[in-house]
Amino acid sequence: MLNMAQGTLLTMGGYASYAASANLGLPIFLGLPFAMIVGCLIGYLMYFGFVQFMINQPAFDTSVIIATIGFAIILENVILKIWGAYPLRQPLGIAGGFFLGGVHIPYQNVLIAAVSVIGMLLVAWFVSRTKLGRAIRATSQNQEAAQLMGVPVRFIFAQVLALAGFLAAVSGLLLSTITTLSPTMGYDPMIKAFIICAIAGLGNIAGALYAAFILGVLEASIQYLFGVRFALPTMLLLVIVGLIWRPAGVFGRRTVTRL
Amino acid sequence: MSDSLLDLDGVSAGYAGRPVLREISLSVQSGLVVVILGPNGHGKTTLLRCISGLVKPTAGIIRFDGKTLNRHSSEKIVKLGIAHVPQGDLLFPEMSVRDNLLMGAYLCASAEDRQNRLEKIYALLPKLKERWEQMANSLSGGERRMLAIGRGLMTQGRLMLLDEPSLGLAPVMIDQIYAVINNLKAQGKTIVLVEEHPKRAFEVADLVYLLEDGRIIWQGKPEDMTGRQKMLDAYLGG
Repeated sequence: MLNMAQGTLLTMGGYASYAASANLGLPIFLGLPFAMIVGCLIGYLMYFGFVQFMINQPAFDTSVIIATIGFAIILENVILKIWGAYPLRQPLGIAGGFFLGGVHIPYQNVLIAAVSVIGMLLVAWFVSRTKLGRAIRATSQNQEAAQLMGVPVRFIFAQVLALAGFLAAVSGLLLSTITTLSPTMGYDPMIKAFIICAIAGLGNIAGALYAAFILGVLEASIQYLFGVRFALPTMLLLVIVGLIWRPAGVFGRRTVTRL
Repeated sequence: MSDSLLDLDGVSAGYAGRPVLREISLSVQSGLVVVILGPNGHGKTTLLRCISGLVKPTAGIIRFDGKTLNRHSSEKIVKLGIAHVPQGDLLFPEMSVRDNLLMGAYLCASAEDRQNRLEKIYALLPKLKERWEQMANSLSGGERRMLAIGRGLMTQGRLMLLDEPSLGLAPVMIDQIYAVINNLKAQGKTIVLVEEHPKRAFEVADLVYLLEDGRIIWQGKPEDMTGRQKMLDAYLGG
């Protein structure tokens, strides 16, 4: 399933961490676990709220896309209602930095890079080596066959949505420490994630990692060499070319359906 | 009928109100190979899907080992001991041979037990051991079928449902598949085998049901049918 609310879940993660200290008066460092819990809960909310009724229904994929867009709009407006439209500063974060060859590198950026790498490795290990991870891959590749193996497909959907909420919350929190909190902060990462998935091929986890790295470097290079305004159009052009040239994704292998 | 493992009593089913199965009654004794024969599009696959819970019957009762299956989900039915090897294999294409097999043992909680089951399947189907690291979608048609059967066996169900295991394979591969089925029969497995072509299926069958237009029109031992081979050939087209 394609979850179009991922960007807003990311925004929510940033605000949840902010709320933990600013609204609830918890110690600042509790912002991280608080955001993680909120992310999981919103994932479950999506499952129990609407996704569970769409499983095994015709046009599941399309229904889910539309429903998650709707959910994202609701969530965004809830954020707008509670915290307002003005950018806020994320209190969680580490100050300072160091110089490497004349370039100032903030500790916060090092932390983000480290957490991203560790997060990717953990997710890769989880889906490839654990029993639940195997069941998730199996369900995404053939739902009916997974059912015939005794996989409780509904339970799997609920867990995947919670995991997606969790990861989005962590990413949102990290992102908000180097930018600011705003109700639309999730749009940009969402579009980039979409570009990466379209180029890698939907559902191709390893391909997405390569694509993310290559496109990230490419984007930064274009911004540096030609100017910031050329980066997004170039990326979108790549998607169009990619989809014409390799509709299943550059790293995607087309699955042939046999009768 | 005392030791019957699976019983269908007046089972009807269909898709979107269109009936496919009409009042099917049959029973499968423990340790026997029961063949369901019939032309394409006459409800053979739907019958198996009904037993494994992928299609809900609109009427009638399905009983397995004394328990009524009608309202159970597929997951529950696998847990009770029915292994369904579906038509067209339905493998997990982007997963390795080993991971496909391990999915068959999803309900098995102990990692050690899963490994033991895996070793058993490798012993029965050595080709799968050679290919264990390969993605399922890189296998040949015959190897895919072997993998689908191996994955079904990994569930260690007491009843196996095989949906046209010879479909689309070269004669050499069909020989190999039937050698495996014969092997399973010798081990005392209970099997419901759905086929379109009678010749091979008759070699392993203990009991045959003929299905036409969603109804059972004949049942008996394969020997009783040999005299009618000509009629059968004409009816099934080969």
